[in-house]
Amino acid sequence: MSEDNKVPTVQRFVAILWPSFVVSGIATILFFTAFDPIEIIGCVGGWDVSRMGYYSIGFFLFWLLTSLNSVLTCYFLKPCAIK
Amino acid sequence: MTEKNTQNVEITAVEEVYAKRKKIYPRQVTGLFASLRFSGVLSLLGLYYLGPLMQWNGRQAILFDLPARKFYIFEWIFWPQDFIYLAALLIIAAIALFLVTALAGRVWCGYACPQTVWTEAFLWIERKVEGSRAKQIKLDKKGWSWGKFRIKFTKHFIWITFSLLTGFVFVGWFTPITELTARTLSFELGPWEAFWIFFYGFATYGNAGWMREQVCMYMCPYARFQSAMFDKNTLVISYDEERGEPRGPRKKGSDYQTDGKGACVDCSLCVQVCPTGIDIRDGLQYQCIGCAACVDVCNEVMDKMGYQRNLVSYTTENALHGKKESFFRPRVLIYIILLSVISVALFTSIAQRVPLGLDVIRDRSSLYRETDDGMIENVYTLKIMNMDLKPHRYSLAVGGIDGLILKKQNKGIHVDSGAVLNYPVRIQAEADKLNAASTELMFYLNAIDDDALSVAKEGRFLGPVYK
Ligand code: SF4
Ligand code: SF4
Repeated sequence: MSEDNKVPTVQRFVAILWPSFVVSGIATILFFTAFDPIEIIGCVGGWDVSRMGYYSIGFFLFWLLTSLNSVLTCYFLKPCAIK
Repeated sequence: MTEKNTQNVEITAVEEVYAKRKKIYPRQVTGLFASLRFSGVLSLLGLYYLGPLMQWNGRQAILFDLPARKFYIFEWIFWPQDFIYLAALLIIAAIALFLVTALAGRVWCGYACPQTVWTEAFLWIERKVEGSRAKQIKLDKKGWSWGKFRIKFTKHFIWITFSLLTGFVFVGWFTPITELTARTLSFELGPWEAFWIFFYGFATYGNAGWMREQVCMYMCPYARFQSAMFDKNTLVISYDEERGEPRGPRKKGSDYQTDGKGACVDCSLCVQVCPTGIDIRDGLQYQCIGCAACVDVCNEVMDKMGYQRNLVSYTTENALHGKKESFFRPRVLIYIILLSVISVALFTSIAQRVPLGLDVIRDRSSLYRETDDGMIENVYTLKIMNMDLKPHRYSLAVGGIDGLILKKQNKGIHVDSGAVLNYPVRIQAEADKLNAASTELMFYLNAIDDDALSVAKEGRFLGPVYK
């Protein structure tokens, strides 16, 4: 535990939220370059949201996924307590 | 720039209060590099805030129109299909950054990084409201009072207003800014526009007002791998230890060399001006953003003492150790070659780009149809994209199979500039001309008014198999 505490809290938050933010940004760009949300929704039906809205929702969904990933990575980085 | 020695005492005191993260109060500097940075910051901020207002042929000159999925850059319109150009541009930017870093260290960080640029702007506002470094430190140590509240409130109010303006302009790069302004003034902003204005504004306020050097230290990947890009010939900010040590105060007018002292008077000004709060005399550290504030201030001290300048300076490791310096070293050459090859490839391919796109989509509801007179008919939808700046009329032709008949022949298909037209076509072939269940056919689209505009696209023609 004492080892852990050496890492400043900001750095811990940053280590989870920031890389996932960057990756999610890249994923959003790639995804929406390949697919036009309005066309996809045209095929499956959806709510009445603008393209900006779909981009934004897409971005936050990606961010949620990527930050979940970061959280898990951080979690597994902790050494196991072997007794 | 007087009364500095008394301030040393004050920083130590404040450092204790902020045991976890010491708040850094960068002292204002003047000098060559400070003016360079000032002009860099001013021109970049000008570019950012005024850029979206630039007009070109009656529209916003640079507009990354995300809602319409089109990028306008002066003469050109880019579509999602042109993504490869964006990718190439990013690669060029990355290599250019490597090249600059190998040659001159972190000049990007010190002069051009948005984090530096906005932090400088915020520091400027802070200084205008709270006064000099010494006044800021004193104010922060004081207990809360009406006067302190008023000063802090003013500062944050200006910061937040400035941040919101920044957020607004940010969205203005992605959606036409004149309409955005009109919608803002009449309180009719779309929910997502409003959201991104606040989100970006908040990020600006947080990063430039509060996080500052922590962004460079904890968030920036570039700072972490700087050592991989540096070599012994890279320009870095460093302190000439041989000349400076042993440091220490001295009497005015005494000859320090006979007193056995070095040139550093240990005034700690280089530490006070440092935006990341490090002491350059400890050697190259990854926190150093290469802003050269310490160079400017130390030169001032050296001038005042009548010593030679550049005790802290832009120099290379080789120069510092009296070794030979080389400019064109392998890594620099490789970067330059890569950079030229990719740039030339990018610009020739943009120049040769045909601003016309064609997609062929087969009708999904039926494979083929046999007409009353025994012909086989296939139905397609053509997606015609006019990526040019003018409207055009196109003629369509088909080929690849003998005796193909294009039903609905016409005087030309009109498509507006920047528009996508879905154009249904019916094509008939004689059954005995088809050798397989699926045969390739070609669609040729040519602009009637411009011979250079032509594209071909293949499709599949389906039919029955008799043989
Ligand atoms: S500013 Fe120059 S003289 Fe003053 S402490 Fe720094 S290196 Fe020494
Ligand atoms: S050490 Fe000097 S160059 Fe480096 S960040 Fe501090 S003031 Fe800037």
